[in-house]
Amino acid sequence: MKTLKSSTTWITSCALALYALPSPVHASSALWLDDDDDKDEEEESKAIPEEDKDRYFLVENAEVHTGTGQVLRDASVLGKNGKIVEIGYNLEVPGRDYYLDVPEDERDFRVQILDAKGLRVYPGLVAISSSGLAGTSGDFRNSVNPFSQSMVLGLAAGITSTGSGRSAIKLKRYMSTEHGLPYDFDGIVLSESTYASMSYNSAASKRALREKLIAARDYLVKYRRWEIDVKKDKELKEPDKKGVDPNVLNVLRGNVLGRFRASDRGDLLAIARLAQEFGFRPVIDGCREGWTVADELGRAGAMAIITARDRRDKNETLVREGGSSIENGALLAQAGVPIAIVPAGKGVDLGGIVGRDIMHLPIEVGFAIRGGLSEELALASITIVPARMMGIDHRVGTLEVGKDCDLIVTDGDLLHYQTFVQYAVVDGEQVYDKEDEMFFAHIRPRADASIAPEERLDAGENDDGEEESVEGDAEEEGSDD
Amino acid sequence: MILNTILMATSSVLAPTPGLAMPDVMAIKVAKAETVSDGTIHNAVILVEDGKIAVVGEDLPIERGIRVVDLGPDSVAIPGLVNAYSRQGMDSRGSNDSQPQQLASDELYPGYIYYPEILDAGVTTLGLYPAGNGIPGRAVAIRPHGKDKAEMIVQDDVYLKMLLRSNSSSKKMITDGFEKADEYIEKETKAHEKWEKAKEKAEKDKKKKKDDDDKKVAEVGPYVPPVPDAKAKAFQQLRDRELRALISIGSAGDYLHLIDAIDDEDFDWDLRIPVNRSLNIFYVKRELGELGCRVVMEPSLSMHPNTRRLRNLPMELSEAGAKLVLIPRSDSLSNHQSWLKDTGELIKAGLPRDVALRALTHEPAEILGLGERLGSLSAGKDANILFFKSDPFEPGTEIEAVMLEGKIVSGEVN
Repeated sequence: MKTLKSSTTWITSCALALYALPSPVHASSALWLDDDDDKDEEEESKAIPEEDKDRYFLVENAEVHTGTGQVLRDASVLGKNGKIVEIGYNLEVPGRDYYLDVPEDERDFRVQILDAKGLRVYPGLVAISSSGLAGTSGDFRNSVNPFSQSMVLGLAAGITSTGSGRSAIKLKRYMSTEHGLPYDFDGIVLSESTYASMSYNSAASKRALREKLIAARDYLVKYRRWEIDVKKDKELKEPDKKGVDPNVLNVLRGNVLGRFRASDRGDLLAIARLAQEFGFRPVIDGCREGWTVADELGRAGAMAIITARDRRDKNETLVREGGSSIENGALLAQAGVPIAIVPAGKGVDLGGIVGRDIMHLPIEVGFAIRGGLSEELALASITIVPARMMGIDHRVGTLEVGKDCDLIVTDGDLLHYQTFVQYAVVDGEQVYDKEDEMFFAHIRPRADASIAPEERLDAGENDDGEEESVEGDAEEEGSDD
Repeated sequence: MILNTILMATSSVLAPTPGLAMPDVMAIKVAKAETVSDGTIHNAVILVEDGKIAVVGEDLPIERGIRVVDLGPDSVAIPGLVNAYSRQGMDSRGSNDSQPQQLASDELYPGYIYYPEILDAGVTTLGLYPAGNGIPGRAVAIRPHGKDKAEMIVQDDVYLKMLLRSNSSSKKMITDGFEKADEYIEKETKAHEKWEKAKEKAEKDKKKKKDDDDKKVAEVGPYVPPVPDAKAKAFQQLRDRELRALISIGSAGDYLHLIDAIDDEDFDWDLRIPVNRSLNIFYVKRELGELGCRVVMEPSLSMHPNTRRLRNLPMELSEAGAKLVLIPRSDSLSNHQSWLKDTGELIKAGLPRDVALRALTHEPAEILGLGERLGSLSAGKDANILFFKSDPFEPGTEIEAVMLEGKIVSGEVN
């Protein structure tokens, strides 16, 4: 196809640029070169539909905290069509660093560039449970309000994904832009079954759960035997699932994590023993006295959802240790219990004393740090750990290539009380800019506002000059042919 | 001289016997006619004939013998107001389900005591919609004047009212409706195929039998398509553009869910967007503007959500490119009476005057599918005209007279 390159300089420059583009334009360019120059104009006028365009998002010059333990200074994160494709230094994007010759209306890509000089990039926060940030529980796809104030405030708090009811959802706003796409309703829901609810506190519930677990275990044993035997005898029937609780079965199979609500030492120990007996990892919501039995929980592979500021006196009728402790998170973590931290209030609360609602994940985490939790684990407790607990860690929770391009840009250490989220990005689309929303724009306003890609290319004499020189270069190249 | 020919052309009865006034022809002189269709005409003459506007023009000479009414130096004429979205005089209750076959005209009560007063307020056409959430049925266009239904109804079955909110049951009503229509098409195609086969067979048999004898051959009658389910029919009518929809939404989020529910279906629809304190429809004004759809709103200012900042949303949507339709602030008699004054407030807050007038006349007429008949002062339209002695949008201005299809039904002109 390269031999087909026309002798006219203009076509050559375009063809070179179009040659590598994986798009309908690419396909048509081959035909296009065969044809006479007269027909070119017809091809030219064909606009590429927005939904066929690749969407790039680049945040650059930032201190990138990937959430996996790494910190990269003056680095960039590049997203393409909602996924992270590259994290590193001096990343290039089409339209700015290459494909400069392709005219605006023939570009099959769109680029958003965020200059985060002096700012930090973190993975979008994951709230393990919240309420009212998006829509009605149970059917978020058909009830989400992409314009709700709570969603904006959630993003302002750095949250990009959250558990809500049994589902995990994304805080995806609808951004009305000239080149906008229809709202991605299907992209709202990350998962519809993030956990299996289990109860193991009263005598009755203990007996019921134990029976279910035994039934499920027996079934799994039978199933495994069948799996082996069926290879020899193809007629063999799959064992009957009747009487087996599907939720409990899923927990034992490891498809979903079982979640308990428990805080008292006795309950926690009972859950730990049960989990060890049946071989599953329990998630314990509450876990107030976890610090007193941290070793046992760690050995049982338990995970905990805690509220660092939770306070309750110990039961004075008992001699052993009990009650709440600010060290709960630190001691659990020390014993190998992964912890997720969530504030006491699950919704956005605009009344009463500030700082205790879902908007204050980093503040809540600060109390766990005060109790001795490391900052790295503190960040994990509001990002990757809750993502794991909900089975959505393959999509969100850290900044890694292949995961969703959900990130926040802050003006300082995320865990510092003074820090504000400046931008939030969900699926490679900027959905929050502090300066654009009325809530915090007036507090320590940014010196320079965001940079839209078109403005950056068009504004100023220098940029114009650059563009001209690029065209000139192309012409020269062409004439050499 | 030119007018003579125009008048001749427009009215065959216009060969006036000198001295004898024609009872059904009348010329009205006003200082200003705000025609909606052709801008404002100063020193206008409106010739009304047989209930229709025959001609409107500046300073036209009038044929002798025609009754002339001169309304004086500050007089203004505008088209009769059209309230396309009302339930005046209707009192039935609706449900939440899908009843697209219901007709609002079935509950029309001609004896309603406020119809004359609504007419006095300058409202010459009302679009009455059936009650209920979900899909309650089809609206009817009436003149608030007349003794019985037949006299009142201008046009029945004018638009299908729907209500859409951000929940699955509401969205399902729309998707289900079109699915039903699909099912009917499938059924109809099958029935048609079956009929064609039967016909073919019958013809073959005929040929065969001709050779043998004149034995009886089962006759296949003309094709009769299966009767569609009433619900399926409504959605088929939407697709065929025999019916348009007026869809009520309450927020920008509802709008996105509506677009999601409509998916690829192609039909004519307008939006009803109630203006309340914290309406956030401005989030999608670009989208509404690009669509150019009609938005039915109250002439009210609202506030930016969670602030005390006033917003003129009707103006914003109109500026974005949507076609604005205004209705009274509430569906009460007093708000019909203050409709023009309330609209004046929007004009003072920045809404262009011509857009406002259009939103009271031509655009609502379009929603009712009566844009050809109503909504402007131009030749051929029904002579629904309001007369004033000063600016109709000023608070102190009263309506001098209301003309409904060529007859003065309220006030006096002389």
